[in-house]
Amino acid sequence: MSVSARNVDLTHCFVEEGSLSLPVQAFAGRVGSKFIISLRDQNKILGVKCPKCNKVYCPPREYCEKDLTKLDENWVELANEGVITNFTIVNYNDKHLPRKAPYCLAMIKVEGADTPIAHIVEGVEVEQVKIGMRVKAVYAKETTNTILDIDHFEPL
Amino acid sequence: MAEYFGSKVEDIFNTMPERFLPEGVKGVDVVIGYDITGEGGGKWFITIKDATLKVEKVDALPKCSVTISTDAEGFVGGALGKIDTGEAFSSGRLKVAGDVTALLNVLPKAFTPFQPVVRAKAIVESMPARFRADKAEGQNLKIGYDLSGDEGGAWTVVIKDQTCTLKEGLDADATVTMRMAADVFVGLNTGKIDPGAAFGGGQVKIDGDMMAAGATAKLFGKFVAAGAEEKQGEELIALKFLPKIRQRFASGPHLGMWFHGLKNKIMYASKCPVCGRTQIPPREVCAVCRVRCPEFIEIGPKATVTMVDTAYYASPDPLTGHVRQTPYAALFMVMDGATPGESFSHELNPKDIDRIKPGMKVRPVWNDIRTGGFKDLLYFEIDD
Repeated sequence: MSVSARNVDLTHCFVEEGSLSLPVQAFAGRVGSKFIISLRDQNKILGVKCPKCNKVYCPPREYCEKDLTKLDENWVELANEGVITNFTIVNYNDKHLPRKAPYCLAMIKVEGADTPIAHIVEGVEVEQVKIGMRVKAVYAKETTNTILDIDHFEPL
Repeated sequence: MAEYFGSKVEDIFNTMPERFLPEGVKGVDVVIGYDITGEGGGKWFITIKDATLKVEKVDALPKCSVTISTDAEGFVGGALGKIDTGEAFSSGRLKVAGDVTALLNVLPKAFTPFQPVVRAKAIVESMPARFRADKAEGQNLKIGYDLSGDEGGAWTVVIKDQTCTLKEGLDADATVTMRMAADVFVGLNTGKIDPGAAFGGGQVKIDGDMMAAGATAKLFGKFVAAGAEEKQGEELIALKFLPKIRQRFASGPHLGMWFHGLKNKIMYASKCPVCGRTQIPPREVCAVCRVRCPEFIEIGPKATVTMVDTAYYASPDPLTGHVRQTPYAALFMVMDGATPGESFSHELNPKDIDRIKPGMKVRPVWNDIRTGGFKDLLYFEIDD
């Protein structure tokens, strides 16, 4: 009879291994689709501008968070350059992560936008990354129809 | 053969070789069976192995890795995206037996989506709608089409007073009659066959006024296949993927004991050392007294029904993924020897659904092959 530290009988304990797979469909939405398609086909970063308060959102969204104005018709073209407003260094490896650790994941406010976008920063040692650093988008050679159609940002 | 949404079941299988993507199925070895009922249905199976495809129509399906069963309309509608396959699956209209994961992984990579097969008849019948009255001023024409082959037929297009009408059959006094195989006609209208080559190469025979034959082209707008026009719309991005999550279920001592009991046709409950209440399936702690319950007692096997819950909706069984046969019923019951109020829930033998009532005595029915799993106890039935 096998017994645990708390004196519990473990004779009939067992472990069942399993695998769960569920088909998933992730829809980018109308606004998200246009944003990704522009990255993919024109290598241009688009945002939406609120006609009421002039706030420019990138990544674009359908409604203004301040005044709830519908924004999806008011597209603006933004620069391929921007500034790091915040960042973190990812120091662990996992299957779902896009890079091997350590790598830098930064919030980047592209020129012309009022909100930052999260992306990978490469081409600089992770210790050297600073808030306020200017970076530019480097586009991926092959499309994945995701935000990774920008492969990464690198310092100017 | 019956058409659904303008397409036939056999169209889907006949176009598989040209829609096949060998690079998408490297290392795949699978046999997929299709059992399609209703008019225009039949049995097909496809073999994908060593990046090659074989499609065969048969009277009886061989052993398949996975078999899809549905009706002809559901099959064509699903292929064309006119019918939601997810809904068809949960309602039981579409059934899948065998390796579902292989199916979901293989099919999207193995084929480009099915496009409706364009038929000569559809092209001819669309001519009045495609007629450009502004280009036909002063034109008085009768154009005959004599199309040979299974999908052929004979039609006459009459253009007069800037209107266009269509009738079946050929007129002896046609301005011009064009004779060709139906598939050549389709190829010309869909841009797959070069007109110069077809006319010059003798694939098209023209009786009558050659000039009139040449003039017809500008009198009609371009033919667009049904379904093809929708693709001109806004592009939307949707990513499909099949995440796999590895799982580990540890029974712990109490559920381990429960399954050990099932294997031996015994039902164990845990008994609280303070209040004496029984819990089934057994639990490690009495939630009322908050003390450990290491003691097991044997209860049942018979029980008294307290409530019956009959379901008529064909939902998938979460334990197997298969669509359940309806109606099915869940029982809530107090096992003999259990504390009153501590009910246990299990399925009822479907044959007893019409007779079951609260207060009745039921007994368990055991699986002949018991492995110490949830399938060991099949269901309960009326004890009479």
